[in-house]
Amino acid sequence: MILPVNNIKNSIYFSADSNDKEKKSLDYDHDTLLPNNPLTNARIGMDKLTNAFTLYPAKGLKGSKNANFYEFLTMGTVPYLVGSAGLMAVFNFANRFFSPFDKVQASKTGQKMALGVLFYGVLKSLSKQFISRPVNMLTGVDTDQPYAKVIYELPDSINDTDITSIEYHRVFESVEFPRWDLLYGNADKGEKRNFRYDKIAKKLNMGENLNDSDQETKPRIKEIIVKSNLAKSISSYMWAATGVALAFQKPWEDYFKAMTFKFWKPQEFFKSLQVFGRSFVRSAKALYKGEGVGVSKHAGKILLGIALFSSAAGVINAVAGAKNATKQKSDIIKSNEKHVVS
Amino acid sequence: MTSNLIQNYISMRPTVNPNTQSNQSVVKTHEKPKPDFDIQKELDNRTFIKPLEGKGRLLSGNIFNAPAIMFKDMVYDAKALKHAISGKANDHELGKLNDFGLFLGGLSIAGYLFTRKQTPMTKGMEFVGLASFLGAMAIWPKIAIQLPAYLIHGVDVQKQYEDSFGRKKPFYQDPQFLPWDLYSDKEINKMGDRMGVPKDIPNRREFIQEKMKKIGIQNNTLWMLTAGFATPIMSGLICNLTEPYLNRYLDDRNNKAADRILTNLETYSQKYKNTALEQELTKLLDANQNKLLNKDLQEAIASILTRYMDPVTAESFKTDLREAAFGKETYKIEDKNVKEIIENLNKVFKKIPGADAEFLTGVIPDEKSVTEALQNSGVFGKDIETIEFSTVTDTIKKLVENNAKAYNNSHPDKQQDIRYIRKLIMNNMTEEHNSSPVKIVLKKAASNVLDSNVTAKLKKVVKYIDNFNMKQFALDEYALKKVGAAPETVIANYWNDVSRDLMNILGFKPEEIAKTRSDRTLMGAVLREKIEHIVSDKNSYNKAMEKLVKKIADINSKIKTSDLSTPLLSKNSANSAYDTIVDGLFDGFAKNLRKDDIGFVRTARAIAGVDKNDVVGTAKQLQKTYVRDRLLGVKSSFYRIINTMDIYRRIASSANSIPALQGKYIEVQEELIELCKIITLEGHSSDHATKFFMMRNPEPDRTHGSVAVKNGKVVNKYFGKTTELTDIPGDKYFYQDAMRLMYEGDMHPDTMAVLKESSIKEEVLKYRDVVLEKLGGERYFAKPRHLIREANTTGSDIKFLLTGIAPDELIFKTGQQLYNSKKWLKIFGGFGAALLGVTVLAQFFFGKMKAPERTGKK
Repeated sequence: MILPVNNIKNSIYFSADSNDKEKKSLDYDHDTLLPNNPLTNARIGMDKLTNAFTLYPAKGLKGSKNANFYEFLTMGTVPYLVGSAGLMAVFNFANRFFSPFDKVQASKTGQKMALGVLFYGVLKSLSKQFISRPVNMLTGVDTDQPYAKVIYELPDSINDTDITSIEYHRVFESVEFPRWDLLYGNADKGEKRNFRYDKIAKKLNMGENLNDSDQETKPRIKEIIVKSNLAKSISSYMWAATGVALAFQKPWEDYFKAMTFKFWKPQEFFKSLQVFGRSFVRSAKALYKGEGVGVSKHAGKILLGIALFSSAAGVINAVAGAKNATKQKSDIIKSNEKHVVS
Repeated sequence: MTSNLIQNYISMRPTVNPNTQSNQSVVKTHEKPKPDFDIQKELDNRTFIKPLEGKGRLLSGNIFNAPAIMFKDMVYDAKALKHAISGKANDHELGKLNDFGLFLGGLSIAGYLFTRKQTPMTKGMEFVGLASFLGAMAIWPKIAIQLPAYLIHGVDVQKQYEDSFGRKKPFYQDPQFLPWDLYSDKEINKMGDRMGVPKDIPNRREFIQEKMKKIGIQNNTLWMLTAGFATPIMSGLICNLTEPYLNRYLDDRNNKAADRILTNLETYSQKYKNTALEQELTKLLDANQNKLLNKDLQEAIASILTRYMDPVTAESFKTDLREAAFGKETYKIEDKNVKEIIENLNKVFKKIPGADAEFLTGVIPDEKSVTEALQNSGVFGKDIETIEFSTVTDTIKKLVENNAKAYNNSHPDKQQDIRYIRKLIMNNMTEEHNSSPVKIVLKKAASNVLDSNVTAKLKKVVKYIDNFNMKQFALDEYALKKVGAAPETVIANYWNDVSRDLMNILGFKPEEIAKTRSDRTLMGAVLREKIEHIVSDKNSYNKAMEKLVKKIADINSKIKTSDLSTPLLSKNSANSAYDTIVDGLFDGFAKNLRKDDIGFVRTARAIAGVDKNDVVGTAKQLQKTYVRDRLLGVKSSFYRIINTMDIYRRIASSANSIPALQGKYIEVQEELIELCKIITLEGHSSDHATKFFMMRNPEPDRTHGSVAVKNGKVVNKYFGKTTELTDIPGDKYFYQDAMRLMYEGDMHPDTMAVLKESSIKEEVLKYRDVVLEKLGGERYFAKPRHLIREANTTGSDIKFLLTGIAPDELIFKTGQQLYNSKKWLKIFGGFGAALLGVTVLAQFFFGKMKAPERTGKK
């Protein structure tokens, strides 16, 4: 079923009941570029997380004809989170049945493992910013730019009027099919058509006031996206590994003794947070300082070094290449000419 | 200027020869746009948008082509990485690199944790953990999703295909894009038949595809929902299953490696060849050649040479250094020292109440007079020893005294206490407390120098030390690998192995362990029940004893008695290979140190003793006894269990023919048996030392006869019936009978029949004798006549080792470990099994679709 993308305003309602009209009001009526800020990202994350645990599994288990790849990918959060909790449980749950001495010993390792799982996730996620932020700053390309996509689905039945849904994607999630169109300015809002591309061109030292900054920058943006994605893939796992290593430091044992999540007991809870901070600093130092001799002594430094290097090298590879690229040569597109597509 | 992009493109596109329109095309390049180009015409004849023929194919993997596929995938990943680095990768390649990153991150974690773990097993398990996690992620969808779906519906929901660009993808990945054209009608219909799709429905293929798609979506969802639970659990289970195999492999490897050290010590010890000491010492000696051999330098030299010595040997070595290398300390007084002494006297005397400039000038002698006086005393400008310090002090004291007397005479109104002045000069307090103004200078005037003789001697010594250390480190490594007090040594693995099997041999059930695990007494009671049950029947006893002896006898194949022996338990007195090597190495080192040109006799004595018979506290003896003691402790613990089983068996089968019980009142027999049963199961060396404290009936029933035994247990007629009980310290015979019952006389024929075939027979028999001799000959001041052998002075360490661990304690500890691992398995294994069950069961409800009406019905 092919529907025009922008005709949601044309009131496609299949129900005979006219009262159904306007019942559902979507946040967006067409694919919309969203600001890349913590609030929007949190909202998108929450939406995806809720759907991953509720709507999409329900659709998937029913074998809905509208189930799609986006939903499958979004559901990937489920094993990631459940698996993390599962790993924590595997190392800790049985300990409560052990004799006191065994329990203490097993819990020491178990709690470090659990913290390792947590740090793995947190650092894996955070460390992607170590690539995207500098790349954005240096090239103007926001590799994480989100947008809302309006999806038209097949009605499940004759009475099913709810045929639209929103998916949250990233403009550059596909390097083969980036949503270039969303980056063009809206003339109605007084935006210059190529204002986003102009900014990127300027940052990439390609000059200002180019006639076709979009065409000029696209190949370079693609290259930046590919290289950034590579850097994110490698470095995020290296940072995740560093997180696990950090969690395995001895000073955390102090925190485990004071650990509490009972926020309704503020004194204990804040003490716990305080000890967490102290243990974090001490553990970071212990990771850097190392123990033993030879490789064991320097393993923490090496791991940290690799993580730092992978981020730095990733950014340099992404930025330097794009900034130093020779100008696009083409017989078809001439930058000083105006082109139309007819 | 405005140009048309499509026109531009068309002007450069490949053109089609109308004559060979269908198959072949001739490429022509036009530099300018065709003036008469008609887009409508091009679109109408479709040559312009003719699709390329697809090259996609379904993939089918099996065990035979798996390596080839793996290799191909690796090549693809490598190319993807190359493309990504240069910024030319596509989405599929980038997705692959994420998997590569995951693997790399996993390796980093395993690698880091590897460095943090101490033993080969824990190190190895880090990589097993990674492999099991990645494996679990891959295996779960195969066994819980793919296989059941295939068996239930005949559809491979994890089917993969390769698209026209050689990119491998899961077939059902995107339900909105399923490349159905890759399946032939025959294949689709076959699956339709398998799913029971009626044959006579319209658009059968489409219907089957819809059904397959539905099954695919449902299974993908189920996969996502279950993988999070399944992966950690499966990973843990895989680790649990792998651990014993890895342990066995590493144990075997470790043991063989240790054996190789002993057989090739000369070669192997090269690993520890290290000339660091020699280099460090040479550097120090060269830098200080002919310089003052002061305390600091002496300590620096000693600290290098004694770096790897034990504290006892190091002390002897330091003495040797002082006496045999550095020689006696000498001091030389020169003009500058005299000057300093006078300065010091000035400082000290200033503090005397009423001391003015006149007093100081009058009392403190000048340099010239001091020098002359010291010359006259024969201590100026010559090497003197500390013993002559008093001459110097006396000389100066005399000068000062004379001056002070003269001062007092000339100043009757400013009299000074001469005794006090004398005291100030003679002050013998330590340096920290402002020592004598004279001695403090003398001490700094050390004059002996590091001459070439000392240097040459030390260079020789360091060579001996390096050579000795090299071999000793190799021997230490051997001892550690075999019997070290550390996890995963040969003996530790053996201990764990026997302990775990012991629980099975004795027939402990998981629920019994679970209920009694937190109370040693409870578990001890269950243990006694188990043993009594086993010994009550010849067959069950033989079976258990055979298994037990076989398991315990493993020690002699893992650690051959010819390599490492426990002399206390062996009949022959031949040296083991280890002892021979230790003797050779330590005696050789001591001999070198004793040489005339070295003369380090104290160190030599600390290393190897005065002669062969001098074994007390020597380093050589320590090197030997460490391994002997470790072995003795372990062997005693397990031989004690054999002996315990034997005692229980003797009581169960022929209590009345046991010599130690003969002629005793029944009540005393019952007491004896109860005592022995308790001591063998629970007794510690302290129980032996205190000669078995037992609350007994002081006036036992005087009935003679036989004790009644039923099902391995004594049916007590008198024991336990009386409440007025006391320990009877005067009854030495009771103690002796108990020892006899436990350790003297023949073992039960059933036990001997099993032992006869075993390599540990002699040691077990010797063990009983040694216990009788060492523990039975231990004198206890409160019960001095409670002896069964001649009183001896064997150390408590040997007695402790001979007693070994009490069986109930061993079982208690092992029971807890077994409980822990079983509990884990029970919780997560049960959850995993339930998850698998639900996952499989759910698939029976998948793919339900109402079929269209059959064409025949129309």
